[in-house]
Amino acid sequence: MKLAINMEKSAQMLLVSATKNAIQNVVPLNLAIDNPRILGQSLDIQYGVLIGMTGDMKGKLVLSGDSDVFGNIGEVMFGMKIGDEMLSSFSGELGNMIAGGLSSQIYENGLKTDITSPTVLSGNTTLSGFQRALHIPATFERAGEMGIYLLLDAFKGMR
Amino acid sequence: MARILITDDAAFMRMQLKDILTKLGHEVVGEAENGHVSVSKYQELRPDLVTMDITMPEMNGIEALKEIKKINSSAKVIMCSAMGQQALVLEAIKEGAKDFVVKPFSPERIQESIEKVL
Ligand SMILES: [Mg+2]
Repeated sequence: MKLAINMEKSAQMLLVSATKNAIQNVVPLNLAIDNPRILGQSLDIQYGVLIGMTGDMKGKLVLSGDSDVFGNIGEVMFGMKIGDEMLSSFSGELGNMIAGGLSSQIYENGLKTDITSPTVLSGNTTLSGFQRALHIPATFERAGEMGIYLLLDAFKGMR
Repeated sequence: MARILITDDAAFMRMQLKDILTKLGHEVVGEAENGHVSVSKYQELRPDLVTMDITMPEMNGIEALKEIKKINSSAKVIMCSAMGQQALVLEAIKEGAKDFVVKPFSPERIQESIEKVL
């Protein structure tokens, strides 16, 4: 499998730590991150949010988890239950804030990126066609598990 | 009390901002879901202050800021974005934004920004 095998370790570590920092700056809950894994050819999503990234890092950031996990995070962040009619909008905004934080973090390392408006995915969605992909398993204390995915099409310094 | 136009593509964020601003005693006179709508509502409503998200479909917040400044060069616009890169902050300030609030924000941060700008 050619996926991610030749991605520079340092670049991978930078992206993982920047993603983790971005999440911690946004979500005020204890976060446990498992070792990142290389993802196969495609990704199946039941519920989640996708944000496109352009510039020195081209690809997508995807947050995937049970919709209740997104709701739990919203409740902690805003001190109120997120109603069904606002859950999709909140999930998109959570993705926007994390991707914006990631983009700001890696800017400090000389990587200039922009992000797209979020797309909320609900129902069965299969994502494929990316060059390399990292899966960062995350668990939020009291809120539940979320899969964080970095689907990379191109990355400055990627061979 | 100020008349404020809120601009953000996320309905959830517009609701949050409206709640914070209303509790601070301001009047939210309009809401816009992209830069395009914000510019036309600015033209129509002439608010005292505009909150402006940056990442939005149709027209982004930097473009909308420039268009609003063409309508009224002394328009008061506060950027309110998840993107906090120094280059972007400097660009917004250069284009005439009065302040730049990075998401996520607290009600206190919004209050501080409005008091500074008004
Ligand atoms: Mg936005």
